[in-house]
Amino acid sequence: MHRCVTTICLASICLAAIYCGLPGSLRGEQPDDGQRIEETAITKSDRDHWSFRPLVRPDVPAVKSLAGARSPIDCFITARLEDQELAFMPEADRRTLLRRVAFDITGLPPLAAEVKAFVADDAPDAFERMVDRMLASPAYGERWSQHWLDLARFAETDGFEHDELRPQAWRYRDWVVRALNADLPYDQFVRQQLAGDELLPGDPDARQATAFCLSGPDMPDINSQEERRSDLLNEITGTVGAVFLGLQIGCARCHDHMYDPISQADFYRLRAVFEPSVQVQRGKSVDVLLGARVPADPSYLLVRGDWRRRGPQVQPAYPRIANRDGERVAVAKPDVKAGRRRASLATWITRPGNPLTARVIVNRVWQYHFGQGLSRTPSDLGTMGNEPSHPKLLDWLAAELIEQKWSLKSLHRLILTSATYRRASGRSPGESSPSSAADMLAKNREFDPKNRLLGRMNRQRLEGEAIRDSMLAVSGLLYRQMGGESVRPPLPPEVVSTLLRPNHWQVSPKPSDQFRRSVYVFVRRNLHFPMFATFDRPDGNASCPQRGRSTTATQSLVLLNSPLTLLAARHLSGRTLVAAEKTFEGRLTLLFQNALGRAPLPDELQRCRQFHHKHVAAIREKGRSPKSLALPIPLPDSTTPEEAAAWTDFALAVLNLSEFIYID
Amino acid sequence: MAAGQAARAGSPRGQNPLAPRKPHFQPRVKRVLWLFMHGGPSHVDLFDPKPELRRLAGKPLPASLGEVMTRRDVAKNPLLGPVKPFRRHGQSGLEISDFFPHLSRYADDLCVIRSMHGDSVNHPQSVYQMNTGSILMGRPSVGSWVAYGLGSENQNMPAFVVLPEPGGGIKGGPPAWGSGFLPATFQGTPIRSGPAPILHLRPAPQIDLPQQRRALSLINDLNRYHRLQRRGDDELDARIMAYELAFRMQSAAPELVDLSRETRETKQLYGMDDRGCQEFGTRCLLARRMLESGVRFVQLYSGDTGGWDAHNGVLKNHTTYCRRTDKPIAGLLCDLKRRGMLEDTLVIWGGEFGRMPMSEKGTGRDHNPWGYSVWLAGGGVNGGMAYGATDAVGLRAAEHKVHVRNLHATILYLLGVDHQELSFFHNGLDERLTGPTDVGIVREILA
Repeated sequence: MHRCVTTICLASICLAAIYCGLPGSLRGEQPDDGQRIEETAITKSDRDHWSFRPLVRPDVPAVKSLAGARSPIDCFITARLEDQELAFMPEADRRTLLRRVAFDITGLPPLAAEVKAFVADDAPDAFERMVDRMLASPAYGERWSQHWLDLARFAETDGFEHDELRPQAWRYRDWVVRALNADLPYDQFVRQQLAGDELLPGDPDARQATAFCLSGPDMPDINSQEERRSDLLNEITGTVGAVFLGLQIGCARCHDHMYDPISQADFYRLRAVFEPSVQVQRGKSVDVLLGARVPADPSYLLVRGDWRRRGPQVQPAYPRIANRDGERVAVAKPDVKAGRRRASLATWITRPGNPLTARVIVNRVWQYHFGQGLSRTPSDLGTMGNEPSHPKLLDWLAAELIEQKWSLKSLHRLILTSATYRRASGRSPGESSPSSAADMLAKNREFDPKNRLLGRMNRQRLEGEAIRDSMLAVSGLLYRQMGGESVRPPLPPEVVSTLLRPNHWQVSPKPSDQFRRSVYVFVRRNLHFPMFATFDRPDGNASCPQRGRSTTATQSLVLLNSPLTLLAARHLSGRTLVAAEKTFEGRLTLLFQNALGRAPLPDELQRCRQFHHKHVAAIREKGRSPKSLALPIPLPDSTTPEEAAAWTDFALAVLNLSEFIYID
Repeated sequence: MAAGQAARAGSPRGQNPLAPRKPHFQPRVKRVLWLFMHGGPSHVDLFDPKPELRRLAGKPLPASLGEVMTRRDVAKNPLLGPVKPFRRHGQSGLEISDFFPHLSRYADDLCVIRSMHGDSVNHPQSVYQMNTGSILMGRPSVGSWVAYGLGSENQNMPAFVVLPEPGGGIKGGPPAWGSGFLPATFQGTPIRSGPAPILHLRPAPQIDLPQQRRALSLINDLNRYHRLQRRGDDELDARIMAYELAFRMQSAAPELVDLSRETRETKQLYGMDDRGCQEFGTRCLLARRMLESGVRFVQLYSGDTGGWDAHNGVLKNHTTYCRRTDKPIAGLLCDLKRRGMLEDTLVIWGGEFGRMPMSEKGTGRDHNPWGYSVWLAGGGVNGGMAYGATDAVGLRAAEHKVHVRNLHATILYLLGVDHQELSFFHNGLDERLTGPTDVGIVREILA
């Protein structure tokens, strides 16, 4: 059926266009009460936008100098640097590389012994073996699940007034951790979150994965349950579009997208895929999607996004711009028991021919490794999105991912073992700092201040979760149990008092649970967990593709004065003092090695010695009782309380160093 | 450079995001104090006199008003007349009910918008809408937008400060003052009275201040060494500055909340000698001190979880809450005036919605987002004015309707900020407080 409708775009900047529907995909869209769908046809120039073009594996570019290249990635990067006559930084030193990979892949600092061993490992494949070790660690899934949970706007409560518990929500978090650790191919990872129940009936894990769709905020006691259901559907549709397709489809809820070729009808057609699976019951939280019911109610476009104003009927369909081949959603026939709309969608999204899916995920993975994506708008690869700095590299990586059977671990390995990833971010301590490198850095900074060409590594700041985990790790407090129900570490009363009810934050009774990794800390929508919130953790109310990176005084206050820092400092100093080293220099070296993976530099040693003298004397002068001091745990017998208290302050200072939270 | 453009361009890392920025045009006010009456005060009993409602008390809602959506199914309940008489006050003759004997002395300073309306009958959605413009969770609050657009005059304090009710949580929680997709720097910082007004401001009791000062100086020195080895990284400079600011905050914040140097007369003015209103009065005085010190945006909440939510017995509930707030707010207006601060301060009073003319459980009232009152006072607005009107019984905004969006656009306008220019690029869109469409400013109330 072909229909031709002349339309005027809402933005009134587009020219009227003739719509000649995709063959059959919109079959059954009947004008309702004389209303018809008006939408601008997709044009050739729309389809020419880089991210909508079919994915073709590009050739690896030729470069003048192959010196230092370790992988095709380096050729793509070097080619552009050569164009601009810019050089790249040399490889970072061993210690820096180990810390970089450890934080990147596991979110935890390397142990002092690991640093020593890796620095001493001369084997040519030492780096590659280290990367494999890190990727095999279960800490990888714990670390990378948080990136995904940000995208999934994951939380364990409903939000709004009552912020009720979703007691099973942690199962989805565990599913993500396990899936990543098992290297579940990304296409399956996507399919299960959209339609695990339809595709793998009887597999409770796959069904649990669909909690992705319903992880957003919800108000079960809202007045109108119809409004509630409509809000949920809108939210799912927008999130699915942004996360898997890198399209801001949600913008088309009220009107055609202002810039991208996504019509309001496209939005409601995609939404129709989910409609049979979202049913609400007053006062009850939602958790996983429902199996499709037959027959499904008809779906409508909602005028200006208002749930009370039904427009024309729509049929489930994929966004036209990403559906060059006109693939159709499997709509249940009346005599077929189960509709498989979501299974169809999931399969369509993960077809190798979908131009967006692989591009979107490789760009995200690149961003988490380098701090910025090849395109800097990871959830918007549409026309308003940022053009990739290296479009061919992006396509090459996307093609490679598909070829590697969507293995994310292979993608990580590919990126991490490139020379590009191993470059220095700037001078780092211990490096012999050749003046040529300093000049190179200066030129690079001048001509490429934002480092889009990646002639150097970006220095990255740890997230609040990784800072907390690192503090727990270096102090020996970290309790590595994996999975299960979330835990609630103690919080200051002024934070708990902002909750609706004091029992909304019941501290985990088992002390070791308070020292679990941050990914296991209970996520309550209506609570700002200070250590995380001040370091730009998103609030879980909308999908977050890239965290902010602010630098504030409240961050300094949390790191200086929170009970957690003090406790970690007491344990870190305790570990240092009970060791065999008894000289000042020996102890300081140990403290630095435990916390930063290196020995202090001469200047630092001198400054610390000076601090130590003054500080111990000043504490002693006050004549405070030992009980009133913050003493190391355990407290060695041979050390005076004043001396010991000074070491707690040393440890606390080290936890506050820029080097502790910035990774070169 | 205009605020929006400066903000759009994004401040490079290392540049102080809270440095004061120039507004788009000549501002009428420099700072905002928002008195948020959580739970929803009853306009028909406070600022919107309805003789017709008195006349029709006990009868059903006139059929001419049509169907109405309510939270608790009260549409068919008999009407409840205003529970207190209204009187004219001041030169302007502005009508205010007897619930506010103190505030009514400042009738000539108040600009009451009687035609406010929003979109949800539910608390949290309306709390979010009043604070962020959207009934959904997770968007930046007005205070965050203002802090982002204009920075702060006080570099020792956060730009956006919240004084929450000590009694406990509002419906919707801290996302009401969250920064949404704006940088965390701009989120509202809760401040309390006492020696530790800001979370983690003070070291643990085992570490005394001189001890911490020495540790801080060590941290700064070591961070400088670190920075020297990494030329050209502004963010590392910013971090060193952040520690210096934290250090200054440790003395600035307690000084700001230290009321010992305020005179007895001032404290009495705020009702701090009166047990019925001492707590709110203290926070009003704290608010004045914050504003005076250059904090850009202060939000003060009245009402714990229940707050002004008078489902049963509006008389009893509002007697309590008006008693708690009337004298302090009057004292605050008086104090701002005599210090010459009211001229360039905008004071906003209102809840997340108003209440229904119909009764609930006999003497209570249900939520009403369809028509209610908010008042403004201070620079740039006409005092002694009632703007707009609800219908005969106060059910819906009827004349010169003012949506929450219009109120937000007007607040920004008074601060010299064009609501269409103040935007933040996020996920492919230029996001604005007032949404994608054009929103009118309520020009008729401007002085």
